[in-house]
Amino acid sequence: MQYVIVGLGGQGILFSSKVLGQVALARDEKVLGSEVHGMAQRGGSVISHFKIGPYNSPLVRAGEADVLVAFEQGEGFRNLHFLRDGGTLVVNIHQKEALENENLKAYLASRKIKVHAIEGYEILKKTMGGRFLFLNVLILGALCASGAGGVTFDEVKEAVASLSPERFRADNLKVLALGHEAIKV
Amino acid sequence: MSKRQILLGNEAIARGIVEAGCAVATAYPGTPSSEILPAVAAYADELGTKTAVEWGINEKVAFEVAAAASFSGQRACAVMKQVGMNVAADGIMSVAQFNMAGGFLLVVADDPGPHSSQTEQDTRFFSMFAKLPCFDPSSAEEAKRMVFDAYDLSERHQIISVLRPSVRVDHCRQDVELGEVREVPNKAAFKKDPKRWVCLPANVRVSHPQLNAKIDAIAEEFETDFDSYNYEVPARSEAKLAVVAGGVSFAIVMDILKATGRTDVAVLKIGTPFPLPVKKVQDFIARHDNVLFLEETYPVMEMQLPDRTKIKGRWNGFVPRAGELLPEVIEEILYRALGEERPKREEERLKAALQELKVTPKPPALCPGCPHRASFFAIHKALPAAIYPSDIGCYTLGVNQKMVDSVVCMGASVSQGSGFFLAHHVDGKDQPVVSTIGDSTFFHMGVPGLINAVYNRHAFVLAILDNSLTAMTGGQSHPGLGDKLRREDSGVAVDLVPLIRGCGVSHVSVVASYDVAEGTKAIKEAWQFAKENRTPTVVVFRHPCMLLRPKQPRVAVTVDQEKCIGCRYCITNFNCPGLVFSDEKKKAYIDERFCVACGVCRFVCPHGAIVAVDGEEA
Ligand SMILES: Cc1ncc(C[n+]2csc(CCOP(=O)(O)OP(=O)(O)O)c2C)c(N)n1
Repeated sequence: MQYVIVGLGGQGILFSSKVLGQVALARDEKVLGSEVHGMAQRGGSVISHFKIGPYNSPLVRAGEADVLVAFEQGEGFRNLHFLRDGGTLVVNIHQKEALENENLKAYLASRKIKVHAIEGYEILKKTMGGRFLFLNVLILGALCASGAGGVTFDEVKEAVASLSPERFRADNLKVLALGHEAIKV
Repeated sequence: MSKRQILLGNEAIARGIVEAGCAVATAYPGTPSSEILPAVAAYADELGTKTAVEWGINEKVAFEVAAAASFSGQRACAVMKQVGMNVAADGIMSVAQFNMAGGFLLVVADDPGPHSSQTEQDTRFFSMFAKLPCFDPSSAEEAKRMVFDAYDLSERHQIISVLRPSVRVDHCRQDVELGEVREVPNKAAFKKDPKRWVCLPANVRVSHPQLNAKIDAIAEEFETDFDSYNYEVPARSEAKLAVVAGGVSFAIVMDILKATGRTDVAVLKIGTPFPLPVKKVQDFIARHDNVLFLEETYPVMEMQLPDRTKIKGRWNGFVPRAGELLPEVIEEILYRALGEERPKREEERLKAALQELKVTPKPPALCPGCPHRASFFAIHKALPAAIYPSDIGCYTLGVNQKMVDSVVCMGASVSQGSGFFLAHHVDGKDQPVVSTIGDSTFFHMGVPGLINAVYNRHAFVLAILDNSLTAMTGGQSHPGLGDKLRREDSGVAVDLVPLIRGCGVSHVSVVASYDVAEGTKAIKEAWQFAKENRTPTVVVFRHPCMLLRPKQPRVAVTVDQEKCIGCRYCITNFNCPGLVFSDEKKKAYIDERFCVACGVCRFVCPHGAIVAVDGEEA
């Protein structure tokens, strides 16, 4: 299983690969991933690679990812080349119209890429008083619901609970469930 | 009992350092190495070892502190990023020739790409220059194993061992086996011996040939005794291509071969690139016709071979001579080396969509609320015609505000201020110059430049952007803060202002970064004083870094759409991710996804269009 997780520095994307790693470890599987730290992390585009299984290198090759998780839609579109044919995009959308772009639709169709979009900012504005730092857990919930991540909601819930600092645990679990409900398959 | 845990490559290295019985560990932060030292402290706390763990003021100091611990018989290590080795080079080149007493591990992290560095230099090449053995791990797990072997090699040959993880190893996450602390007999017992510990020319005439003999002996060991790092993965059918690969390039090649089901490529992995096990490599080359070398970033392995005629690599440009060897890059090289067409993917529609949707990569930017942004704005307001030399830190990103005219390396903002002054002064011009430098960088290498400027009477303003942190590298401590890494260890904070005065600077002022009016006034006054007295002056801008999540009043703001004339002044000169421009409406607006309500942009708009939301001003 190969994931690519993209977003902007400061959106907390590193937490997602930590959670996926915890899930894999609980199943006694091998994990390997690559993260961005340092200057590249400051507000700009960031990308995490994450692989579960018998791999050697921490990087996902373009055309090989099973799932692309995007915290920001532009970053998601920009990195679609990482997906294999038939792969899945789970994306936080803030400008829905973009999904109607004809070229984008044609590209996704030709490569049989499935899209699960979640309006993360809207949901967090309504339910969490606009505390956008919960975006990462919300998207993890959506990833579980998409069925494409190879991880179950219960596994992820357990990992999120064990990795969350005490003061965020209850809220994290609540938001995880919201993300899960937001995706209908 | 064995225990597996998912660790960052840097944590795996740290765990190895503690398990190997290191007694003194020092570092100066620098991506991609920064997480190693804090992890050393955490494991030392957890496992209850005696290890002293310290940030040095810079890499040279950190290295020299650790080196003397090794002279005393202790196991020691110094950790830095690749350009840190340039700073520490003076010490490293001398100590390379010493017969070390305790094992010494020098961990230097490379950054092919580069992702977060000012150069793409190769530490394996530097090891060759210093004549020091170098280990090049291809995974976190291997990096940890190498720590033990590097220490043993170091003690066997009384030489510094270099471990060179590259960014993909430092920042990979992998499940790694945790072990126990190994008992080592090392203790502090310094034996006075000037022939051994004093680098007089007469002693070097003896020690340099000794160093050569050590490297020859190590080369022999690398030929035969390190098969877990240097090994061949033979082709399972007739080999059409033979690849010699080191570091993470090896791992990438193996994944590509597996994913594509190829059996006609033989691979030789090399984990000890200097001194190269030349016979092993030559034997592999001799058995194949089509040979490719993959290494980051210089052709260091290639260079050690007397005959390169058969080799496709970085030396002859078959492999690009700069840049990171990403999986897609290696894939392309492999197909080219095999003389085959690479499977093509149709990306035209995606390209068109990205263009229509105006999707472009986002370059790094200062965080919303970052005090540096406010300081830059104040400096610009005070002296818009100044030259702005800057330095290495988050504030390098002031380039987005057009407030960074030149950056060289840590500390150079101060010396550049001197140079810009002199160049104009000799022509009889009073050119305003405002240099910017961070607190950590000022301690690191800014101080000598400032003393130099006082001594030689260079008129310019030095703005020290003090955010109480080494932020760019993730938030480490420095001498101005005084806290230390190990539990129950504490240091002393060195006060910035007395230090500046001690350098001989007579005009020093301290302002709050968010107070744009005060900052502007302070810069104007400082330049006036500098010009009149022909001397450097200093303004310290203070506000905690946003990474520290400082408690501060929330001032929610909005852009009055009536008053905004769409001049983009705020975008050009303030450049905040929370304050953006609508191309449709031709007006600025607040992007609430990113705005942290610091309120500073209220002082930016020349038309008064950015205002506090009613009743929300705290
Ligand atoms: C010789 C050298 N060592 C380390 C680094 C890594 N590095 C980049 S910026 C920086 C320090 C930044 O701290 P500071 O000057 O306080 O500025 P801030 O990022 O906090 O704004 C460091 C250590 C480097 N680039 N060069």
